[in-house]
Amino acid sequence: MIVENTQTQMRKGILEYCILSIIAKGEIYASDIIAELKKAQLLVVEGTLYPLLTRLKNNGLLTYNWVESVSGPPRKYYTLSDEGRNVLNQLDTTWRELAFAVQTSIEGRNNSNA
Amino acid sequence: MNKTIIININGIVFHIEEDAYEVLKNYMTDVKRHFLDSADSLEITTDIENRIAEMFSDMLAHENKQVIVEQDVQTVISQMGTVEDFASADEDSKQTDSANAAYNYTHQSRRLFRDPDDHLAAGVCAGIANYFDIQPVWVRLAFAVAFCFFGTGLFLYIILWIVVPKAITRADRMAMKGEPLDLQGFKRNFEYELKGVQGSVNSMHADAKPFIYKTRDFAGDFFDHLRSFLSGAGKVLVKLLGIVIMLACIGFIIALIVSIFTFFAYGQRGIVHLFPFSMLNHDYNIPFMLCGFLLLFIPLIGMALLASRLVFNRTTVGRTTGFTLLAAWLVALFVVVYYSIQIAAEFRSGGKMNQTVNITPNAANTYYLKVNDVKYLTREDSTKLDLKPSVAGRVIVDDNEFNNDWDDNNMPNNVSISIERSDVSQPVLVESFRARGRDYADALQNAQDITYHFSQKDSVLTFDRHIQLPRNKVWRDQEVRLTLKVPLNTKLVIDHEMDRYLDGINVYDCLENNKLDHTAPAPFIMTEGGLQCKIDTLVMKPDTAIIKK
Repeated sequence: MIVENTQTQMRKGILEYCILSIIAKGEIYASDIIAELKKAQLLVVEGTLYPLLTRLKNNGLLTYNWVESVSGPPRKYYTLSDEGRNVLNQLDTTWRELAFAVQTSIEGRNNSNA
Repeated sequence: MNKTIIININGIVFHIEEDAYEVLKNYMTDVKRHFLDSADSLEITTDIENRIAEMFSDMLAHENKQVIVEQDVQTVISQMGTVEDFASADEDSKQTDSANAAYNYTHQSRRLFRDPDDHLAAGVCAGIANYFDIQPVWVRLAFAVAFCFFGTGLFLYIILWIVVPKAITRADRMAMKGEPLDLQGFKRNFEYELKGVQGSVNSMHADAKPFIYKTRDFAGDFFDHLRSFLSGAGKVLVKLLGIVIMLACIGFIIALIVSIFTFFAYGQRGIVHLFPFSMLNHDYNIPFMLCGFLLLFIPLIGMALLASRLVFNRTTVGRTTGFTLLAAWLVALFVVVYYSIQIAAEFRSGGKMNQTVNITPNAANTYYLKVNDVKYLTREDSTKLDLKPSVAGRVIVDDNEFNNDWDDNNMPNNVSISIERSDVSQPVLVESFRARGRDYADALQNAQDITYHFSQKDSVLTFDRHIQLPRNKVWRDQEVRLTLKVPLNTKLVIDHEMDRYLDGINVYDCLENNKLDHTAPAPFIMTEGGLQCKIDTLVMKPDTAIIKK
């Protein structure tokens, strides 16, 4: 249970960072975000994405445009807002620090194991 | 071959097979329930719905087909993720909640539903069993026992059937069983279903269908039809009531129209001689009658229209017409009130005029009081009726109460006679003419215009039944009060017909006391204490009366 919990926590923190990173590449549709996340093996089902997107949007990190679609209803295309870009920059910094911290910790462990 | 349903997901129409629809509906219900706590639930679920619609569109286009089948729905769900998948994604945020939920579980209030999964008739007993968390068999047993007491059980069951809703959605079923309406509860419920426990139960119903279940299904159908019939019958009753009201109104309207036409066709003369109308002044009785007509006619029309609306379910009269009718009614009301006040003002003062007529005493000191059967016609009347001069002024008519064609009985009884003791030996008749008017002079004039005929022939005193008013004179409460003053020991033999004009004397009682026939005259005698009934047949013989004296 604790293991699962930790996994979830780690995943969750990284997920938002990844979503912001994907959107930062340019205007993108939700299912394309999913495709990217699936490729990265971070997320398996689409349903989880929508609440996240909505929350990010409501926090002012994202904006979206309605784009007409040939098949089905209009689509929401997401872009980062200026604030989103700021947050992403901060997260980048944080991630580098974390990556360093993790890397350092793991190295130490590997060394001790070896 | 499968039945398909047409659904609309955010503006896009899909044909979907019935079982696929059930799966999709349950899925969306779960999703909506899952995001219910979230402030953005509407936006999230709309996004999800849009995406589902898009996936369906893609599938239909890709596979070149027209109908969504269950497989498609399952694919979409697996791609979108089930509620459990959502849950693992935000488990941490829900963790505290689920801890609370676990706590809630024991305190979760159950709701009363009819249980569609475990039922014999309508699931009432199973629902109650769920509510109290006991085995349904005990509840069924209780109802069966209650049925033995004058059918109370059956009666109660039918009431509960109608009142208690059926658990349709998963949320309903969970509330029925007291499972918490949160993620954990849904998960548990969903897993329970996946295990196929309920599925097998259902399939057993469908496949095996023992006799009792067939009966149940039939009864269920029957009562469903009965319920829809009863709700339809309510509407029919309302319509019937509307028709009755409408017909009644139309009847009244016709009667009203006939009467107003009669009024105009016969001229105003006929009607103003009938009592309630005889108080109308001639110069304004036409507007008064017209307005009175409108005053009754408009509300009747209104009621008829309302009733027709009830019957035909559509507005039959425009707003403008309604307001016009209302305005006309108010004007009519105003006119009627105005004239009524005018007429009332004509009754403001009272006037009285007295006149004393001497009565020739007779030796026997006995008088016979009779009602006049002779009708006096005025000169005008005689001319109009083309009577011979020899009989003019005096025509005998049959003047009984049931045939008073010639009677001017167009006003309330206006003759009253009282009999008093006189201190002098001369008997007199005091005629007191009374009337009302707008002031004293007018009232007095009205009183003076009254004519009353009284005549004496030997010992017979004859009283007219009514007063006479000059032609075209309106009713102003004219009356005459006669006071016959006779000295002590005067005998009066009063005709039974006089009874209705006499104050304080009951002729019929006296006849009763004397054991006389009802059509005979009754004997009275004036005593110190006033007029008394003389219980003595001797009075009929004037001679003995004199001897006695």
